[in-house]
Amino acid sequence: MLTGKADLSTPLRQIMAAAASSPLTTHVLNTGDGIPAAKMAVSLHRLDSELMIWNMLSIGTTNEDGRCPGLISREAFISGMYKLRFETGSYWESLGQTSFHPYVEVVFTISSPEQRFHLPLLMSRFSYSTYRGS
Amino acid sequence: MSENRLQKLKGHIVAENKSTAMAGSPNPLTTHVLNIATGLPGSNMALCLYRHVPSTDAWTLITTGTTNDDGRCPGLITKEQFTPGVYRIHFETAQYWESMGETCFYPYVEIVFTINDPGQKYHVPLLLSRFSYSTYRGS
Repeated sequence: MLTGKADLSTPLRQIMAAAASSPLTTHVLNTGDGIPAAKMAVSLHRLDSELMIWNMLSIGTTNEDGRCPGLISREAFISGMYKLRFETGSYWESLGQTSFHPYVEVVFTISSPEQRFHLPLLMSRFSYSTYRGS
Repeated sequence: MSENRLQKLKGHIVAENKSTAMAGSPNPLTTHVLNIATGLPGSNMALCLYRHVPSTDAWTLITTGTTNDDGRCPGLITKEQFTPGVYRIHFETAQYWESMGETCFYPYVEIVFTINDPGQKYHVPLLLSRFSYSTYRGS
């Protein structure tokens, strides 16, 4: 978290400011091992309700803290149906383990895009949970 | 042989049959929807079960159903249909909350899971509120 005065001339703070401004954030936790789930591929999609197809808006990888900053900009975040797709199966495979769910997709409706939405994913090899947090 | 001894032997034989029958359980895949906001089963929720077809990357619809008063949906799949593969259960969560006059953050919930050994029993519950849900491989 940024504290104190933000000197926006420094590149690192600029990146963090941009990342912090994503109105949609996630946090993936490996509850089996009690650690953040790092290096997991995550993608964000929005449903085109006319064509009834999903458009991928961004794709990224969780950092060492299990977070994926910069998912979407304030401007792009309009009302609609969104989907966060977590490549959980690949994640467990990279740890040399099998898992019950090959991937997790969380589909949600945004009707108040001026708000902030934090959607964590708590997962183990055989379970997962998600909620609207802050 | 004494009556007692015969009864005991009969008991072993009957138990053997029972476990044989359950090895290929008539209900190898079950679900259970729980409304954790009200602390009650999630009854009258529509759901569908699909199996993934790898060659075409399509999904075959296997069953459609609605949860009963206990939040369960028996008869999702038969032992014969239950082959190894990737399955998906689609739960109509928003429709469920709407029928109670409330909105839900999740228009639907889909749980995708891999079945490697269809001889086992798989229980895939959904614990749900308007703004959260969880699932796990249970028994």
